[in-house]
Amino acid sequence: MRKEDTVKLISAEGFEFVVDKEAAMVSQTIHNMLTSPGSFAERQHGEVTFPEISTTILEKICQYFYWHLQFASSIDLNSENLAVVSGKETEFPIEPELTLELMMAANYLHT
Amino acid sequence: MDMYIRVKRSKTTYFIRCKPTDKILEIKLKLQELVDQPANNQRLIIPATGEVLEDSRTLADQKVENDAVVALTLRKDDNEFEEVNIVRPNDFYQARDADGANW
Repeated sequence: MRKEDTVKLISAEGFEFVVDKEAAMVSQTIHNMLTSPGSFAERQHGEVTFPEISTTILEKICQYFYWHLQFASSIDLNSENLAVVSGKETEFPIEPELTLELMMAANYLHT
Repeated sequence: MDMYIRVKRSKTTYFIRCKPTDKILEIKLKLQELVDQPANNQRLIIPATGEVLEDSRTLADQKVENDAVVALTLRKDDNEFEEVNIVRPNDFYQARDADGANW
């Protein structure tokens, strides 16, 4: 893997998550930061700091990005596939106590 | 995309896309630019059991599944490998982590 293809997401506590750009761009907000022309420092360094997102939540978000790449893109009108996608195995698990914080972060990230 | 694993060292987590049939050496090659260390200076370990993953075997062989957490250790100056060191966030959710719940 090449460094240019990844982006480093940094949580409130300074923990770092190195993910594929393709995965991070599931978030519309990060997509905009990384692709808009001009002065986003994030684009040059490949680092985005989220001072308001805790480590636990940010890790969950990164897991969601990859879950999205694995499963969400395979949804189409083919009924066989739909059955697979809605199956238990492909459900994205969210612990109840994380729900509120996760929703706020998702709202911010347009995820 | 088939699966991914989370490779952790200190406060950093690398999300690595891979296949169950990938050999551990291939994972190390994917990591080498990200961690600035060649594959032979890396060691991958299952944190729960301390089992060291072998280069020549595949992820599936060694029961490394999607979303698994794997610890990375690097060779130190004295040629020995460092201990597993994964820092956990010290926050509200720690109590649940301490139970060893896998989530």
